[in-house]
Amino acid sequence: MINVSGLTKRYGDRTAVDNLTFDVADSRVTGFVGPNGAGKSTTMRMMVGLTPPDAGEVRYNGVRYTDLKHPARMVGAVLDARCMHPGRTARNHLRAMAAMSDIPAGRVEQVLAEVGLESAVDQRAGGFSLGMRQRLALAGALLGDPQVLLLDEPSNGLDPDGIRWLRNHLSAFAVRGGTVFVSSHLIGELSLFADDLVVVGAGKLLAAETVEAITARQAVTVVAETPQPADLARVLAARDVTVEATGDRLVIRGTTKAAVSQLAFENGIRLVELSETAQSLEDSLLDMTGASAEFTSA
Amino acid sequence: MTTTIPTTTVPTINPPIPWAASNRLALRTRSDDTRAVPAALRSEWIKLASLRANKVILALTPLVGALIAWALASSATDKKLTASELFIFPLPLVAMLATATGILMFTSEAQHGTLAAALTARPTRWMIVTAKAAMATMVGLVLGATAMAAGFGGALLGGVEVGDESAIASRAAWALLYIALGAMIGLGVGMIARHSAGAISGLLMWAFVIESLFAPALPDGVVHFLPFSAGYRLLDAGPNFKAPVTIAHELARPEYALIFGGYALVSLAIGTLLLYRRDTN
Repeated sequence: MINVSGLTKRYGDRTAVDNLTFDVADSRVTGFVGPNGAGKSTTMRMMVGLTPPDAGEVRYNGVRYTDLKHPARMVGAVLDARCMHPGRTARNHLRAMAAMSDIPAGRVEQVLAEVGLESAVDQRAGGFSLGMRQRLALAGALLGDPQVLLLDEPSNGLDPDGIRWLRNHLSAFAVRGGTVFVSSHLIGELSLFADDLVVVGAGKLLAAETVEAITARQAVTVVAETPQPADLARVLAARDVTVEATGDRLVIRGTTKAAVSQLAFENGIRLVELSETAQSLEDSLLDMTGASAEFTSA
Repeated sequence: MTTTIPTTTVPTINPPIPWAASNRLALRTRSDDTRAVPAALRSEWIKLASLRANKVILALTPLVGALIAWALASSATDKKLTASELFIFPLPLVAMLATATGILMFTSEAQHGTLAAALTARPTRWMIVTAKAAMATMVGLVLGATAMAAGFGGALLGGVEVGDESAIASRAAWALLYIALGAMIGLGVGMIARHSAGAISGLLMWAFVIESLFAPALPDGVVHFLPFSAGYRLLDAGPNFKAPVTIAHELARPEYALIFGGYALVSLAIGTLLLYRRDTN
């Protein structure tokens, strides 16, 4: 398990990460979501010791990252897929990483095969596509056979095929017993394979729940069409729901389709159309983080 | 040219690796950090040896040494100059090569993001700096030795005598110290600046322009302590060698070595401190 407690980072007057506390459970995929400038990348850098926090700490099964004798065997991090020298081959890039972590050299060929880069081992990274760079970055993270994978926006720039490959790989890693902590803007994509979500905004924790719990709170909208709109609106008003009426069409929030149908029946109101739509997970999360977004569209 | 690969590969799920699983949560001790320096050195060697640019520098260095010594020997009207003196004349230029290599050992990693991978693998910053400093020293020694050997041969080809052979070992040793310290100064400056072009151009400007232009106007007591003026004095080849600056009261070579070495130590110390305090992306 990863325990993040009281993590704080300030840059001058600006607090990038503000007393962040959450846990990442073992053998699960945890999504880390938030708008631009929410502090996700800063948090991930603090989780692997690249940025010294002003307060708080991160522990992996009770041990701080900087106290680990073999950090690469506990945590594999992919924080930026472009982090490779363009003049170095894939093999030498991984050989240098393996040597630094005292990992047997034979492991290089294994991880290259695992990510499907066997045919490009002696090609310079400068000639790689973005998808290949992403795979090489993941190979580097897998060198130490870590228990935890941390990934910061790994899908950025990938085509749908690449995104699907990455999703399958991370899911397989979690199925094997690994822990995945992945930040992404692609909330819809994340919801396909994430078990839990940690939501941040303006450096603060907004939610840390399972995807099911967040989904269950999604707002429902009922649309009813009736030749008696005023009667239906009057009946609904007494039930503490919001109603927006446009001619014969009412958009109702705060109740369910079944409840509207029952009310109409009890009050002799004829309904021509009755439908229900649930708010998407993306809309739910955007509602949650909307007030803390640094940059928003008009 | 960009190569693409098929994206339809199915991820394999390999069984856990015993050497990895058995000591994932082992705690780091101080002696572990010291014992990890050889691993860091191996990594630095792989990084150095795997880039074409470094191989080009290594190949060019003896060429530069031989050409400069040959040109000086060929054009010297005063044939009292000998190969045992001329072989170190190319070294100020080679020292700049070594200094630039020291800078790039850090700035290239910082700019391409591989420094983050190194620090993630080994969060103990001083160990990374130790490995880089050792590698920078080795690079300096190799560049210096090859330049001097080629310079000796180039001088002989230029038509001068061998000269006082007994002085060669001593001059070579001081020259190697000069080059190695120059490489370490480069590493320290690179760690402070974190920008290749800025660090290299700044250092070259300081060494070749500022020190050379202003040194004659400065009191002798100040000139002793300018870094490259002090370092250059380690190359004193004897009575026929004229220093680029006029120094009324010369210090002994060990004193110049301490001054030049002091700059290397201070730049590395400041660079290491910044490495601990700065964010690494």
